[in-house]
Amino acid sequence: MLSVLAPAGRVEALLGNEAIVRGALEAGLDVAAAYPGTPSTEIGDTLGSIAKQVGVYFEWSTNEKVAVEVATAAAWSGLRALVSMKHVGLNVASDALFTLAYAGTKGGLVVVNAGDPSAHSSQNEQDNRYYAIAMGLPMLEPSNSQEAKDYTKEAFELSERYETPFILRTTTRVSHSRGPVLLGEIRKGRGRGSFKPERFDQYLQVGAIARKHHKILLDKLERIEKDLGKDSRFFKLEGEENSSLGIITSGISYSYAWEAIKLLGLRAKLLKLGLTFPFPKEVVSDFIDGLDTLIVVEELEPFLETQVTALAKDCAPELSIKGKLTGHFPRVAEYTPKIVVKALAAITGTPLPLDFEKIEKRAKSVLERLPSRPPVLCPACPHRATGYSLRRATSGKSTIYVGDIGCYALLFQKPFEVEHITHAMGSSVGFANGFSLATDQPVVALIGDSTFFHAGIPALINAVHNKHTFVAIILDNRITAMTGHQSHPGVPIDAMGEEAPMIDIGGLIRSIGVEFVKEIDPYNFKEMESALREALNRKGLSVIIAKRECALLTVRRKRRKGEKIVPYRVNPEKCTHCLVCINTYACPAFTDTGEKMMIDPSICFGCGSCVSICPFGAIEPSEGAKPWLEEGE
Amino acid sequence: MDEINVIVSGVGGQGILFATNVIIRTALKKGLNFSQSEVHGLSQRYGSIHTEIRIGPKVKSPLILEGTLDMLIAMEPLEAMRYANYVSERTIIVSNSHIIPPQSALLERFQVPNIDEIKELLLSLNPRKLVMFNATEIAAKKVGDPIVTNSVMLGGASATGVLPFSDQDIREVLESLVPEKYKEQNMRAFDLGYEEVKRILGGGLEDKA
Repeated sequence: MLSVLAPAGRVEALLGNEAIVRGALEAGLDVAAAYPGTPSTEIGDTLGSIAKQVGVYFEWSTNEKVAVEVATAAAWSGLRALVSMKHVGLNVASDALFTLAYAGTKGGLVVVNAGDPSAHSSQNEQDNRYYAIAMGLPMLEPSNSQEAKDYTKEAFELSERYETPFILRTTTRVSHSRGPVLLGEIRKGRGRGSFKPERFDQYLQVGAIARKHHKILLDKLERIEKDLGKDSRFFKLEGEENSSLGIITSGISYSYAWEAIKLLGLRAKLLKLGLTFPFPKEVVSDFIDGLDTLIVVEELEPFLETQVTALAKDCAPELSIKGKLTGHFPRVAEYTPKIVVKALAAITGTPLPLDFEKIEKRAKSVLERLPSRPPVLCPACPHRATGYSLRRATSGKSTIYVGDIGCYALLFQKPFEVEHITHAMGSSVGFANGFSLATDQPVVALIGDSTFFHAGIPALINAVHNKHTFVAIILDNRITAMTGHQSHPGVPIDAMGEEAPMIDIGGLIRSIGVEFVKEIDPYNFKEMESALREALNRKGLSVIIAKRECALLTVRRKRRKGEKIVPYRVNPEKCTHCLVCINTYACPAFTDTGEKMMIDPSICFGCGSCVSICPFGAIEPSEGAKPWLEEGE
Repeated sequence: MDEINVIVSGVGGQGILFATNVIIRTALKKGLNFSQSEVHGLSQRYGSIHTEIRIGPKVKSPLILEGTLDMLIAMEPLEAMRYANYVSERTIIVSNSHIIPPQSALLERFQVPNIDEIKELLLSLNPRKLVMFNATEIAAKKVGDPIVTNSVMLGGASATGVLPFSDQDIREVLESLVPEKYKEQNMRAFDLGYEEVKRILGGGLEDKA
């Protein structure tokens, strides 16, 4: 049985994201919706895999705003609903959420928002805690898997009590850390809801009604601060009670601060906040009362620090507050135990227990010899083939390549270099509109299938109506690949594994009046290159759908069928070591022995797409290998 | 035992998350407290990836403080070098010797160190012990599929005795987690890795390499 469904009383090793799902199930979840995005994706993955079994509805919605609307309507109908997304997903959903704060909710509604300090897998590292203030939505921040479960469950109760959605805010190191979690009882959901507004204007937002709801919201927040600010479930007080040194923290930073205090042997008291909006002024002012020094340990922006500074002006004007505003902690990138240990040692004048300088110096001479290993497109990746043809079709031109969010963003790398821009979901097509009117350069937008459904369609319609000229390549690999293979409206299966109507991208694009729409297998280099050349010479919008399933799916299916993966090899007699293969196609299976090229059989998937790349015909199938293009796979 | 800190590193696709999961589930089964972090998302795509495992009654942070690593399990030797900042006199490095050169190094003509140089560089970090063997070759030639390299490495790591449970404990958890179809291969891989490292260690952990 899946750990997330283990019986109550058991302790299981759960990822923060899995723990959130368990918490929701313990609260009697009915409906959940999400759009995948690191580090939030496993919430949806887990829900999708168990939804039918536990009688919960889950969908991957086309984008985060739709997901919020799906979950909200369920909650307005009296059901318990959850919606999850990454930090930048909240930008997309924010239009619905700001007004939702005015409208409030009936059934429990939890908005899980996972931040990505360091932008490990994101286009920025925005600190979404400010959204809670801006929207007026209360926010809980768990610091480990156990709290992720407990807070999620509590958030549903609180959401119903205060008739407002609650934000559950995590970061990568909470969502993607695994810890022991003591499980509670799973509760059955309510099943069907019904929509009956209590007042005629409850869900109408305009003018005087909106202003009335704004006031109701502010009153609610005041009540929440009064009730929950002092609720011991949502803060934790530790350490030496009478110490004049205090540390305030929240989320994952708590774990670093807690261990640093032990390691440095500091005499300090520690306040960990679980409720970070509304800011629990009473607990914090009690905490800072009598302190000489307060250290604020939080990732990204000085969110707690500015609030505690404002508070201290009145109640503890002499207090010395150390944090980001004083330059003791960085605002850029996620924290590490070392950052926190060093900062606490520096502020308190405590000697470091480890000679970091010596360790770093020793390591430096090793790291200087180490090549970087950025992520690359997988062997057999259809995007590599598309990038290859695009490079050839546009060589010598001053093409503007506008990329988007997905694995194909890696086409910015050598040897392809066909991505000048990655920005936000769907922006490739939007920017292409603008470039085509502002410049005389050829413009190519590259957008994936899931991203196209998410936010590419409005910009494409814009291009048709406003007569812009560019080439849009839809890299349709039949799945949301980068986040780990989630379904989307273009595939015949939904998030719960049920058959589902499939939206035909080509048909959709033709229906808005695009005349040049070609669907091509990117392994078919010749056809792809000539279509690209033709498209680049046309006026108006041209669309090429580069359609081939994600190679990881192909390989997985072959393995499941018991088919052997037969790698290709380089014939050393024919290889001249000209390096054309690596310099134009760069499959990770290519290895340079120094004299000849070689294909690493432990990496090669046997797709055979590289055969025609070699000008000397040196790439050959091993016995039993079949090129995927011929198989039609 | 206060705490045991372990990094499992390698190239995306080498089964790092699975090996980590085996260790964590063994800790869970033994009733030990732990905190572990991993990275999902784009970095899985043939990039450098690693997980951090901490086991001990008082651990909270899922990330390891640099210089306090007890064992580095590297599925690929360059990916052992990458965690140089974590290695100190308390660290045992168990590394596969099969190099997977990063593609960017080929494209940028970066001189990738050879295995002897890598060994020397790792030893310059003054670890408690460096154990290096070709796990990929064992997986490919003796078991028949390089995909079980991670189980070979797991067996090898178990043989060091650094983890706070026996190799038998880990073996049992591995067996319970591998799908039936691949069980025999993985168990054989684990045992071969275990024997290889036992053989290398011979008298124990005293000498350096």
